[in-house]
Amino acid sequence: MIQVEGLGKDFEDLRRGSVSALTDISFCVKPGEIVGLLGPNGAGKTTCLRILSTVLRPTAGRATIDGYDVLEQSEQVRKRIGFMSTNTGIYDRMTAWEMVEYFGRLYGVEEDCLQSRIDNIFTTLQMHEIRDLLGAKMSTGMKQKVSIARTIVHDPPVLIFDEPTSGLDVLVARKLLQAIEALKHQGKCIIFSTHIMREVEKLCDRIAVLHRGRILAMGSVDDLESEYDEPDMEELFFDLIQRFEDNHRAEPAIP
Amino acid sequence: MNWSNVRLIFVRELRDQLRDRRTLFMVAVLPMFLYPVLGVGMVHMTLLFSEQPRTVVVLGRANLPQEPPLLDENGFVPSWFAMAGQAEQLRVVDDQSTLAEAGSQTESAREARELIRAAQRVETAFFELQKLEQQLRSGLQQSSEDAGQGAANADVAELSKLAEQVAQRRTAIGRLFAKTPVQVLIIFPDGFGENIERVNRDIRDGKQTQADYERPVIVHNSADDKSMIAYDRIKKAIAAWEEKILVRRLEKLDLPQTLATPVNPASADLAEDEQKAANMWSKLFPALLIIMAVTGAFYPAIDLGAGEKERGTMETLLICPASRREIVMGKFLTVMVFSMSTAILNLLSMGITGRHMHSLAGGALSKLGDLSLPTAASLLWLVVLLVPLAAVLSALCLALATFARSIKEGQYYLTPLLMVTLGVTMFCLSPAIEISPESDSSWFYSVMPVMGVALLLKAFLLSPANPAELYPYAIPVLVTSVGYSLLALWWAIEQFSREEILFREADSFDLRLWVRHLLRDKEPTPSFTEAGFCFILIMLLQFVAMKYLMNAIGGSGDGLAMMKLLITQQAVIIFCPAMLMGIMLTTNVAKTFSLSRPRLGMLGLAVVLSCCLHPLSLELQHRLSWFFPELKPQIVEVIGAMSDTDQSLWLVLLAFALAPAICEEVAFRGFIFSGFRRRHKLWPAIALSSLAFGIIHMVPQQVFNASLLGIVLALILVRGGSLFCCIAFHFVFNALAVMHGRFGSETVISGPLSWFVSNRDGQLNYEAPTLSIAALVASLLLLRLIRWDSVAADEGQPVAALSTLAGVTGETPVRVGSDRS
Repeated sequence: MIQVEGLGKDFEDLRRGSVSALTDISFCVKPGEIVGLLGPNGAGKTTCLRILSTVLRPTAGRATIDGYDVLEQSEQVRKRIGFMSTNTGIYDRMTAWEMVEYFGRLYGVEEDCLQSRIDNIFTTLQMHEIRDLLGAKMSTGMKQKVSIARTIVHDPPVLIFDEPTSGLDVLVARKLLQAIEALKHQGKCIIFSTHIMREVEKLCDRIAVLHRGRILAMGSVDDLESEYDEPDMEELFFDLIQRFEDNHRAEPAIP
Repeated sequence: MNWSNVRLIFVRELRDQLRDRRTLFMVAVLPMFLYPVLGVGMVHMTLLFSEQPRTVVVLGRANLPQEPPLLDENGFVPSWFAMAGQAEQLRVVDDQSTLAEAGSQTESAREARELIRAAQRVETAFFELQKLEQQLRSGLQQSSEDAGQGAANADVAELSKLAEQVAQRRTAIGRLFAKTPVQVLIIFPDGFGENIERVNRDIRDGKQTQADYERPVIVHNSADDKSMIAYDRIKKAIAAWEEKILVRRLEKLDLPQTLATPVNPASADLAEDEQKAANMWSKLFPALLIIMAVTGAFYPAIDLGAGEKERGTMETLLICPASRREIVMGKFLTVMVFSMSTAILNLLSMGITGRHMHSLAGGALSKLGDLSLPTAASLLWLVVLLVPLAAVLSALCLALATFARSIKEGQYYLTPLLMVTLGVTMFCLSPAIEISPESDSSWFYSVMPVMGVALLLKAFLLSPANPAELYPYAIPVLVTSVGYSLLALWWAIEQFSREEILFREADSFDLRLWVRHLLRDKEPTPSFTEAGFCFILIMLLQFVAMKYLMNAIGGSGDGLAMMKLLITQQAVIIFCPAMLMGIMLTTNVAKTFSLSRPRLGMLGLAVVLSCCLHPLSLELQHRLSWFFPELKPQIVEVIGAMSDTDQSLWLVLLAFALAPAICEEVAFRGFIFSGFRRRHKLWPAIALSSLAFGIIHMVPQQVFNASLLGIVLALILVRGGSLFCCIAFHFVFNALAVMHGRFGSETVISGPLSWFVSNRDGQLNYEAPTLSIAALVASLLLLRLIRWDSVAADEGQPVAALSTLAGVTGETPVRVGSDRS
């Protein structure tokens, strides 16, 4: 469902000139699967997910979602994805219901099933008490719920979560992860980025460890642990990054 | 475009703005309360202000003549004033009546004594000053006479000391007067009244008379408003009184009263009441409409553009299936609705307040003219013309606001726009600038952005006798307004399509880093920004140099010096910036300036095309001469120098053909076009570079001509791949113009040649056969040029895109070698 081949992205930066944010990324995500992008801050997770959501244009390689190219058929792609991140804003002067309804209509959900669909989502996520609350008055947890509702209102086959739990307390984060798990069981194809090991271990079917715009390792938690002979995921992660840094320090010049 | 998405976004933004207290305040609350409050305040101020009487002290009242009386027991006699009630506003205290009440201990009598004493101090000081001044005058006269006789000038030091003393005394009196509560002091000298009566008697008796007596003095302070108002009134009253004295003398001599006023013209005002009102509103409404439309667009645009970025909702919006065009359109319509409603609400509130104030205050405000509203038809035009105006301003505001990274930055970017519109408004207020069938420049003004709308509105509001005469101008105004709006919208959409829209987060700008980045991360050809900067730099230099050029040209009248100046100007202002930027900012100078060897085919095409376009361009210029405003005399002089036969031909060709050909091509087709073209599609780049090329020519006629030629030149560059072809075209074109001006008038035409050219008004004129042949060949060559398979293909330019643009589908582009038919 998500197919990424040799994806690369360079940015122009005043201080450093041309900077490579992503280099030769390839992976795929199948329906009913959650793939986690695990990496430290600045590893390129957000860049990768923004390319998948067509907001950024790749400078190398290609990515398709549901068979549609993110560069050439961006409109088709946008119809088929739900994107959510902690910093995707909530409109201050709109109520929860209006917001979900607005995006439902923008995504072209039929008017007759839109209301019942929103009603369902509000019931599942227990949002009925905040349906008429303005965005400006919502707590972070409430905003997160509205964000999820907005992301799934058009029932997209592909869901992209960019560090959805950052800044949330344990209770809200747990509920959110449960919601994502439920979506997986509905057969959605989910890609999920985070820098928290425990989330990955619990939730993801497969993991890609991302560092400095490169995939250092990829596979299920068990595969990775047996391949690198390291039973602790956190240790494994440190190890991979350390090894990469050592290798590249040995090389005289990093492009 | 999916209009249901546009509608969705529009409705959401509209609701969002309506829930925003700031927007509501700006759009609705402010106009509804501001003007009534201002109006009431103004009425109160006027009433309060006029009720305060001014204090006038009269010294030497006893010296006034008995008949006719200037003063009575209450002050000035009211009949000397033009308007009723003015006499009561002047409180007169005189020495005579104060002395009579010397014993009285009432509050007012004490105050009056105080005033008289203060006035007398001023009087004494004033007479001393007069004496000193008299001394100084006679001293000066004496010294100038001495100097005339060649005598030694001994008392210069003494005189300057005296002058200093006079100045000091004057300041001292000024301060003394300002300290007193007296606004005006009138001093009637001793024997003044007797003198007047003596002259009266002499006239009656038919005797020789002596009218050289001491006159009264009115002391006032022109820097003080209160004093000035009182002084103006007193002066008019005394003038009326004086006229009466004169009239009585004439009566005694049995002479007609009109002798005193031999000219006294009657003034006739033919303005109808409606027109008076119209005049008032025609000045105010267009100006207010522009200001209010831009103010109304200001805050919503910032909120919808930069605000969305700042709040982090931009990403959500960009990921939804609505296209960037639909998003921009929805936002644009919202901004436009607010722009229009702000303008309408403000004008309505102001109009109603004005009317109400007028009925309330009556005469006090009559200076402003009649404030009744203009006719319904003009108000209808107001609303109709508001639409294109609001569209242009909203699109511009939105584009600028989208460019900004934060709300604060948005305010910084939009403020200059506000100022520019204010400038345009001021310009439109000038009575000389108008759209009317009588004005030469109407068509020109009607295509100017914002200005066209404002001027047309002004014309309609003047309630003309025949409004139908103005309808034709509405067409260019509306068409160009739509064009400008689309251009601004296109820019806004471009802004939304850039990746940077998400990343232009507020980071600080470091000039050193930026310069280092420019010099380090060079690319083979310049970037869009660098090209734009080069254009602006050339514009600025041109602007700075213009003053000196105009002075030099206007002053000298020396043809040779002017030629030198023109060549230097071309080299310094146009060639150097582009060339230097090219060398410093790019890695491949040859590619930036397309300095490759020209192919003979293209070179030939350029020369032939240039020859064909020459008569066509002249004809076009001639045909469109009604459209453009008349040329300034200095410019006519410069152009005239082209055909100045006193100069040697090679020099004129150098100054008017070769120098521009090289300098302008290097700058516009070389640096600027290659910069515009690097990341942009071909045709927008051509359009933009041609426009830049046009604008640099300053004179409207030439701007138009050069823009058209710019398109051809850019095409020649793209298809030929060599700047030399452009230089050849440009040189031939200008050289032909020089020849036409120089030899055209002298050539005698006879025989079959007269079919093709004629001599009219001392100018060589191309006849219809020449023009049609030129047009035919030119269009063939242009078509050929559009379809030409360019060398640009080698540089990775998408050739397919070019041929589809030219309308070629499924046809292989023609190669140079294979096309010799």
